[in-house]
Amino acid sequence: MNTIVDRTKDIGEFIPQPDDDMLICRCEEVTKGEIRRAVHDGMWTITEIRRYLRTGMGLCQGQTCARLVKGIVARELGISMAELEPAAARSPMRPIEMKVLGNEEVTDLWQ
Amino acid sequence: MNRIENHPILGEPQKTEKVTFCFDGQEMNGNMGEPIAMALKANGVMIHRYTQKEHKPRGIFCAIGRCTDCVMIVDGKPNVRTCVTPLKDGMVIQTQDGVMPKTEANEVERSRV
Amino acid sequence: MKRYEVIVVGAGPSGLSAAIEAAKRGLKVIVFDENEKPGGQLFKQIHKFFGSKKHHAKIRGFKIGENLLEEANYAGVEVALNATVIGLYADKEVVVRRNDQVFHYKGDCIIIATGAAENMVTFPGWTLPGVIGAGAAQTMMNLHGIKPGKKVLMLGSGNVGLVVSFQLLQAGCEVVALVDAAPQIGGYGVHAAKLSRTGVPFYLSHTIAKAHGEDCVTGVTICEVDSQFKLIAGTEKYFDVDTICMAVGLSPMSQLLKMSGCLMEDNPKRGGQVPIIDEFGETSVPGIFAAGDVSGIEEASSAMIEGRMAGVCVAEYLGYCTHEEKNESLAELKKDLESLRQGMFAPANRGKKITKTEEGIEISDSLLKNGFVAEQEIERYPGVVHKSGIHPVIECTQNIPCNPCQDACPKGCISIGENITNLPVVEDENVCINCGMCVASCSGQAIFLVDEDCGDGSATVTIPYEFLPIPEVGEKGFGLGRNGERLCEATVVSVKSVKAFDHTNLLTMRVPKEYAMSARFYAS
Repeated sequence: MNTIVDRTKDIGEFIPQPDDDMLICRCEEVTKGEIRRAVHDGMWTITEIRRYLRTGMGLCQGQTCARLVKGIVARELGISMAELEPAAARSPMRPIEMKVLGNEEVTDLWQ
Repeated sequence: MNRIENHPILGEPQKTEKVTFCFDGQEMNGNMGEPIAMALKANGVMIHRYTQKEHKPRGIFCAIGRCTDCVMIVDGKPNVRTCVTPLKDGMVIQTQDGVMPKTEANEVERSRV
Repeated sequence: MKRYEVIVVGAGPSGLSAAIEAAKRGLKVIVFDENEKPGGQLFKQIHKFFGSKKHHAKIRGFKIGENLLEEANYAGVEVALNATVIGLYADKEVVVRRNDQVFHYKGDCIIIATGAAENMVTFPGWTLPGVIGAGAAQTMMNLHGIKPGKKVLMLGSGNVGLVVSFQLLQAGCEVVALVDAAPQIGGYGVHAAKLSRTGVPFYLSHTIAKAHGEDCVTGVTICEVDSQFKLIAGTEKYFDVDTICMAVGLSPMSQLLKMSGCLMEDNPKRGGQVPIIDEFGETSVPGIFAAGDVSGIEEASSAMIEGRMAGVCVAEYLGYCTHEEKNESLAELKKDLESLRQGMFAPANRGKKITKTEEGIEISDSLLKNGFVAEQEIERYPGVVHKSGIHPVIECTQNIPCNPCQDACPKGCISIGENITNLPVVEDENVCINCGMCVASCSGQAIFLVDEDCGDGSATVTIPYEFLPIPEVGEKGFGLGRNGERLCEATVVSVKSVKAFDHTNLLTMRVPKEYAMSARFYAS
């Protein structure tokens, strides 16, 4: 896996494709064209794409689209999917309301 | 009916308590404790919500609580995954429109925007 | 914060197996699972499993699940349900959501057995209600008794696509077509064959061009693809369906392992992002183990063995068994696992084109492309023989690790030998007593009992039959060929269903004797 991204690489111009309006991220409703364009805007890592377009940031947290987005970005960069660092994995892994996330069990250490 | 009445391997379904619930103002029947999504499917309901941006219909997709496509407003609470939430008697279930209930007022609001 | 010696995440086949082995050796174990019920995907599996006796062969998946739960209960495993693990922090701290609260637990060892998630492919209309995952179809029909649709198109010819298509038929749905972009069927030939003979058409080198409908699916157009998977214009075919089912592979759900700092790799042979593990499941972080699909996509049978291995390792890691005891247990488990990882579909053979069986017999081309063995090909296989009187005809044509048929025959008519991937051979000297045990024992439904010549111009063919309604004796219908085509008139002469057959009914039909070796299904 490439942890350092070589930004000097020339990936060419953004060329429109017939299926650019295909929805990829079902939760945040982001299309293939938007993802491809984001790569040409300089978003070369999954983390950047996520922050730029919110792909995989919706309710399901990328359960369905993570692999699809990775494939599109990798193809646009001309690398294999394995070379692309996946998004950071962090808690909470599942949709959870803020009030529940904030409701931690309190343990009385002196008991 | 979408319910399997007799299955060559699993036999007849277990007898369960029947409950009534309300879907968008309509009274429907289902089995106590089955996922809300299954009760809706048995009643022929396909659309669970309309998306926020594109206003496109969505329904059951993964059925195991992962994809969150089947979320609806249940007893006033939005974004409830209906495929993993058990049905209870008297539940009020509404088609979700963005994060709001799908009502005419919301429709008008949306078309104005 | 509560402390456990072992925390297992996921109460599926591998997680439960791991917990059992650890608890059996005296460890305090808790298993967290986000679902309402334990067992993972096992309770949706209503087909008989492959393998040997040790791998629970010829037992249906949900029954294996029941047995596993019983074993876990007996071993003293604590299973916490509706308990969603939302994080795995440094020093093996597990964060769990239970009801409306978040709890922290500390484990001396952690076993991650979170399984896999379904892959999806995109096509115009793929977000419409009515487009579902194959797992969703299984959940609906096998757990909740709901038909996923009336008319279904299945995308994906791997074992999941094939098995779920058959289960759709059993649930009373119509499967209009099975489609795969690959040029050949990905799953077991026997699974494809049992679909084919019911009349389900296969479209290889095809993919979905568009799902039709405004509010939900009303139809689908498929299209042929070239070797670059590009749609070929003019090859479109339309089907009237209300459901499109996707079975296009699985990806490990390994985020928790990544979060906890385990070294990961992207390994296409294992299905995607997986932890780098040793032979028995230990990750790069000492005390954190991975088992089952999360460390590489395989079958439930291998997931259970991997789980047991991790459980044994954890016991030794925490000092509950000696190094020797561990090695002894692991050696046995390793043997079981290796025997499952053999044959044409072994993980090591993924992506390879295999043209001959281990016996040197050519693989049926028609099976790979159309889903059924062609009539001129079937005679090549050692299970297909001609004898006078009733005898088994075994249409098992690929090397799959599976051998229940060998033990099922009380007369020793069937032999596979030590190597469980061998094709079954019908022994010439032993005489079949028409008990039908072999037919019911074959998880691939590939065994038939045939009397090629009853002396009156007719032949009888006994087939496994797992559909409703069960035809009545005396009923007149049709004998169908391996491709599901009506070949001849057929009369039902007997229907046997005894407990030992485990819901596989044995239907015997009388057909004109020239169809003895080609009629393989019955339709009224």
